[in-house]
Amino acid sequence: MKQTPDLGKVQENMKAGQITGPGFLGSDERNLIDIIREDEQKISELGLSNEIIADKLEMLMRQGEKGFGSPIIVDNRFVVIVDESRGYVPCPFRHGHLSKKVNVNVRSMALKKEIDYTPISIHLIREHGFYQGKGSLYRLDPEEVAKFLELI
Amino acid sequence: MQILITALVLGGISAVLAAIISVADAVLNNYGDVKLTVNGSKTYTVKGGSTLLTTLAGEKIFIPSACGGKGSCGLCKVKVLSNIGPILPTELPYLAAREKSENIRLSCQVKVKGDISIEIPDELFNIREYVSTVSTIRDLTHDIKEVFFSFDDEINFKAGQYVQLIVPPYGEIKESTMRAYSMSSQPSIKNGVELLIRLVPNGIVTTYVHKYLKEKDEVRLLGPFGDFFLRNTDTDIIFIAGGSGMAPIKSIILDMKEKGIKRNAYYFFGARSKKDLFYLDLMEEIEREMPNFHFIPALSNALPEDNWEGESGLITDVVDRYLARQGEIEREGYLCGSPGMINACITVLGKHGIPENKIYFDKFG
Repeated sequence: MKQTPDLGKVQENMKAGQITGPGFLGSDERNLIDIIREDEQKISELGLSNEIIADKLEMLMRQGEKGFGSPIIVDNRFVVIVDESRGYVPCPFRHGHLSKKVNVNVRSMALKKEIDYTPISIHLIREHGFYQGKGSLYRLDPEEVAKFLELI
Repeated sequence: MQILITALVLGGISAVLAAIISVADAVLNNYGDVKLTVNGSKTYTVKGGSTLLTTLAGEKIFIPSACGGKGSCGLCKVKVLSNIGPILPTELPYLAAREKSENIRLSCQVKVKGDISIEIPDELFNIREYVSTVSTIRDLTHDIKEVFFSFDDEINFKAGQYVQLIVPPYGEIKESTMRAYSMSSQPSIKNGVELLIRLVPNGIVTTYVHKYLKEKDEVRLLGPFGDFFLRNTDTDIIFIAGGSGMAPIKSIILDMKEKGIKRNAYYFFGARSKKDLFYLDLMEEIEREMPNFHFIPALSNALPEDNWEGESGLITDVVDRYLARQGEIEREGYLCGSPGMINACITVLGKHGIPENKIYFDKFG
């Protein structure tokens, strides 16, 4: 599918140093539309939806917020640490959405693995089906994150 | 031959189009000189076309902005008295209904295209730019640095206020970026300010400070800003902070010490484990010199090797226990930390009879 000029502008906003230092694309040089389409297909193959993944990520963040930066155990399965900083991050799709500057670290007690994400990660997945480019610090590979969250 | 001619023709068309766009841009976006009136009394003749924030900065009027005009902090609000068109989508998330009805606008989003009249608080005329030299950089914890910025000019501020630190482009960052940091030094120090800067993962300014900034570097600062400062009453004081939220509270306490303010003050400082604690010696020294000052550090996740014998648990639980023991007396709360921590603290302080209008905070938001 062809990338529209509007998506081209969004992709510019996602580059390193535009909205955040590292940006949202990592080393991924594909068009934004192709990044989104490939992940969309994977989510569909897994029988999941962006909402299901975003909801679980958000639930863990909400629970973790109760620790004010200290670890919180959720469902006896995950250890969540939520660190808040000053300010907001605007959505690179520039439709007026703002997310708080927060780092969410989740460790799976069963898998002994960790993931990091932010409120803007949740918004990008839920509203735009964007899991970030390959190599991005906050990329959540759909299949890996689904396994991590025990959704498959 | 035909390919060459086609390429030349296409190149020629592109060049003509580029020239037309360039001329159109110069004509359409040339707003000429416009009149900027501030608070009805001060008038400036400025070049139109830039944002209101930038235009005001050009006249040495600095509006608070934590993001440096990127439309992501919502701090740079001004009241616009002229008709400058509808509120932009990029302003909407930051404006409450009352602000919209009063024509409050984000000065970083509004462009000055014609004569414009605005209202700003008079104290903003006192904000200045300081060209500083980094005197010292010291690690306080694994992720917090104490940096002292010296300058020749004098700065006058209230303990608890903040400045904006402007860092130059570096690496992938193509533009100067500014962020707000509270002074941790006391106002009696006039030729410089001390800031505590915690490394935020992937943060543009904090990464610069932690990875690139060196002693003797030149850095620009704007300030002072903010309305977080000690109110002039004689009630007991509850200070609550965590991490780099220490900065404005330290400034206020040192200011109290210098001014001989003897109010009862309890400072609850939350940290995860011992490696996140700092200034313990300084706080102990202040406790010795100010008998009415009490420092209560608390660890939420003390490690076995910490051998911690002090207060344990979330800072809200520790405050709750202390205040319950003290009973209901008249107090004020001064808080600095994350929005989540502050909201939870407001609830706890409210439970112990401190009304919201007696709770002052510097929220990381």
